[in-house]
Amino acid sequence: MKTERLTRIVWVNRVLLSHYRRHPLQAIFLLLGLTLGVALWSAVELINGHARTSYADAEQFLGADAHFWIRPTGENAAVSQQDYIRLRRLGFVELYPIIEARLQTREQDWLILLATDFMALPIADAQNNSSETATPFVGDALAFMTPPFQTAVPESLASELGINPGDQLTLTNGQRLPPATLQSRPQQGERLVVDMAAAFEVLNRDNFDYLGVTKLSASREQALRQALPEGLILTRNQQSLDLQELTDSLHIQLAAMGWLAFVVGLFIVFNAVRFSLWMRQATLTTLREMGIGLDDLALAIALEALFWSVLGTLLGGGLGFLLGNLLLPTVSSSLGSLYGAIITPTVTLTARHLLQAAIMTLLGVTVAVAGPIWLSARRSIRQQQHQTLDQQFQPRQLGVQSLSAVALLGLAALYYFQIDSVSDGFVLLALVLFGSALSLPPLLYGAFWLAARSMPASWWRLRWAMRDAFAQLPHLRIAMMALLLALVANLGVSTLVGSFRIAFTDWLTVRMSADVYVQSATLDADALLTQAPLKVQASHARTGLNLRWQDRPTEIRGVNTQAPDMRSLPLALSEPNALSQWAEQGHLRPILANEQVHHLAGVNLGESVSLPTDTGTVDFQVVGFFHDYGNPYYAFYLPKATVSQYWKNAQPMGLAIWLQDTNLQAFEPDLLDAGAEPGDWIDQRQLMSVALQIFERTFAITGALNTLTLGVAGVALFAALMSIHQQRLHQYAHWRALGVNQQEWLLIVGGPLAGMVMVTGLLAIPLGAVLSALLIADINIIAFGWSMPLNWSWHPVANLAILTTLTLILTGLTALWRVQRQLPNALIRLGGTA
Amino acid sequence: MLRFTHLSKGYAQPDGFLPVLNDVSGEVARGESVALLGESGSGKSTLLHLVAGLDVPDHGTMLLNDISLTDASAQTWNRLRREHISLVFQDFHLIPTLNVDDNLKLQARLAGQLDLDFCNQLIERLGLTGLLHGLPGELSGGQQQRVAIARSLAHRPTLVLADEPTGNLDEQTAQDVMTLLIDCVRAANSSLLMVTHSPAMAAYLDRRWHLKAGELHED
Repeated sequence: MKTERLTRIVWVNRVLLSHYRRHPLQAIFLLLGLTLGVALWSAVELINGHARTSYADAEQFLGADAHFWIRPTGENAAVSQQDYIRLRRLGFVELYPIIEARLQTREQDWLILLATDFMALPIADAQNNSSETATPFVGDALAFMTPPFQTAVPESLASELGINPGDQLTLTNGQRLPPATLQSRPQQGERLVVDMAAAFEVLNRDNFDYLGVTKLSASREQALRQALPEGLILTRNQQSLDLQELTDSLHIQLAAMGWLAFVVGLFIVFNAVRFSLWMRQATLTTLREMGIGLDDLALAIALEALFWSVLGTLLGGGLGFLLGNLLLPTVSSSLGSLYGAIITPTVTLTARHLLQAAIMTLLGVTVAVAGPIWLSARRSIRQQQHQTLDQQFQPRQLGVQSLSAVALLGLAALYYFQIDSVSDGFVLLALVLFGSALSLPPLLYGAFWLAARSMPASWWRLRWAMRDAFAQLPHLRIAMMALLLALVANLGVSTLVGSFRIAFTDWLTVRMSADVYVQSATLDADALLTQAPLKVQASHARTGLNLRWQDRPTEIRGVNTQAPDMRSLPLALSEPNALSQWAEQGHLRPILANEQVHHLAGVNLGESVSLPTDTGTVDFQVVGFFHDYGNPYYAFYLPKATVSQYWKNAQPMGLAIWLQDTNLQAFEPDLLDAGAEPGDWIDQRQLMSVALQIFERTFAITGALNTLTLGVAGVALFAALMSIHQQRLHQYAHWRALGVNQQEWLLIVGGPLAGMVMVTGLLAIPLGAVLSALLIADINIIAFGWSMPLNWSWHPVANLAILTTLTLILTGLTALWRVQRQLPNALIRLGGTA
Repeated sequence: MLRFTHLSKGYAQPDGFLPVLNDVSGEVARGESVALLGESGSGKSTLLHLVAGLDVPDHGTMLLNDISLTDASAQTWNRLRREHISLVFQDFHLIPTLNVDDNLKLQARLAGQLDLDFCNQLIERLGLTGLLHGLPGELSGGQQQRVAIARSLAHRPTLVLADEPTGNLDEQTAQDVMTLLIDCVRAANSSLLMVTHSPAMAAYLDRRWHLKAGELHED
């Protein structure tokens, strides 16, 4: 670029930016929009990443949620270090060793000690499948893994046993555990945790009880089976609760909402940029009169857009990081703890995310400035001299906007019947949302036109107010569209989260209704149930096998039709009396299938499925589909006897036990007496409570984000109102000179604003419902093959109405205050120029 | 220096085509000042806009320093307006967010022809010395117009086009501004074509043209 032109561009930029020096509020709103949009998007990314980390952490730490176990086959046998090391050296890094021992203290308290090799835990999975190799051990973790070691004692247990940090528990054999550190993780339960080396010393052993194995692909599973030495067996954890798979759906949809928040932010920017350009229209025209070409102007404006985008992205990224920390106190508090380096939010807020945000922001700002530049290019300087902002929103533009809205919504209606992938679903959502947003200004225009026409002439103040709406609409339409999107996003997320909460809680309550789940090769189940009849209320021993059906892994489960969890099995879709038909097993061989069979394999109620059995293919009639959230496989339930009849190789799949008084600790000696090893059973109540805690944490954060999204829209409205009043101050001074008092002014200016917000709010309700329905009833099924009932509640609507009204009152009062402050000056000027 | 011949211009209206200028011709020599008089709607501003390249004639030719402007590209017009043609408007067209000093030097800077000594002369001559750090909004109409005049002359343009520069000012201020405008235009050795409806203001200039019913007549 020639120096002469460069100098010119610099001066044009200086002229353009001088606007913000004199109108800092506009610069603040512009930055606020960009910053909040980017911050919300970053925070959602951060939270999603953190939640996934928590789930993976829960799975891996407990071992109870390992996808497989490697156990010794012989009586009282253990897994030797040599076997473990050999498997790791063969490349099976998914393995981690576990010792789970029941110990008695000198004070006669029974405790469970869990030990693992923290260096071996495959925590890299926790980072959204990132292959980053950051070591998870920093700070206190080193003290944990090196002599004299530490014992992580849950705070509740410490308080029960009177243990303070640094205390050492003495066992009955005189051995002392490493110094206590109070450190509870929700997944830890009431267990003590030590490093493997410490456990070897205390327990005077050098082998492991079993190995945990994280998720394996079919080929890895096969390879591991072949590599296992004699005496070790790989078994699938039948009761594993894969929180990540369960919540993948929620996170995909939250991510979509994060993008929506970002778009709302961009609307603010769009509004602010366009407004600042319109405010500078006279300056732009003067520059053109002085010989600045459109190309130079466009370049200068693009540079300004770049400047704002970079600044907004950096500030937004920083704020997102702070927001993430604020919303996730556990993140900050865990920084110095065992997994600190992994769970730190900086892991998820990467340069890639910032770059993505910067590109999106720049794109948004460019779109915002492209319109005015294009319009300028089409007009001669003389035409621009006579242009005012009010002329920007002409009936022609209204028509174009209406047609665009109708076209987008029509396209969405047609597209609805074509969607068969998640991306299709999100395109559909975008069409619906943007179509609706575009339809808002014409709707508002129509509503005010009708209101103005239907009012009697004697209501002149109200008629004036309705007519004034046409002057306000060009300024406020983008802000109203942003508000609409924010309200829709809010209602959508609230409904989504509410539906998830109810569906998952109900489902978990049934699925994990038993107090304890035992999966043991050495347990004598009959002996257990015989020896402790007073403690056991009910039990459910399942059998089963895995096979392939329709080219997909498929689970066949033999169940006790009268077990408590089967009698109340929630069915998504069923024939009348499905459960009794199925339990009785008539000649049509009724079978229950998971929803995935219906949605993904296309099997309808009453149709037959042909399953491969020992005696060839046998047809079973599907009488019901049960909810099976998060299961990527097909699954079928049959009575145990039917499974034994058709599949001789069906294996025991564990034993669920309902206790009389839910006191697992009192029942544990019975389990040990009946041959179970420590670690063979899972405290289901504990597991369920952890799962619910994690869900609740995510939901709470979502609620906070929701409020912030609305806050962003509130800022848009506020910014637009401030600008409009600044622009119209001269006009208000004229009104005041005519004798219009403050109450009349409030009615004329505030009435249309309240009307616009009301129409926007009313439109948001059906749109929010449509958005939730699309997410829950269509996109979720397409993506995951399972559905959940849509739980529509008016509670969020009421909350939003209150919040929006408060925002409106706050912005209205601030605007009033500013106008009142500036009006005397405007009146003086009016006198000066009259 | 400036010559236009057979210029015609009209606008499409809802009730048909409205001719504004009808085959007008004229010439302004270097250093000469010409007043363009006429009633409202007679086409004075339209002719000024055509000469400034802000609008396009339907017919006719224009020459500035023997360069044809008839088919000049947008780039050529931009360069001409930056370096050779200046505009002064009734409502000043100052940049409200730049101070007086920056405003009056802006066009010279954009043209790459800033001469600080000449600027200082203009500032002194126009009585702007004490106003340099204020914003245009803080000045009276007469003061703002003096800033606009300084801006239009700071880079010594060939031609100054003024569209009723005293229309917003009281009689005494208008006379003061007019005197200063003529004085400064002469100092810059520029030509001046000024639209006005005031014969009193027109009397300050060398020649007077009258536009009536789209036709141009000289006194």
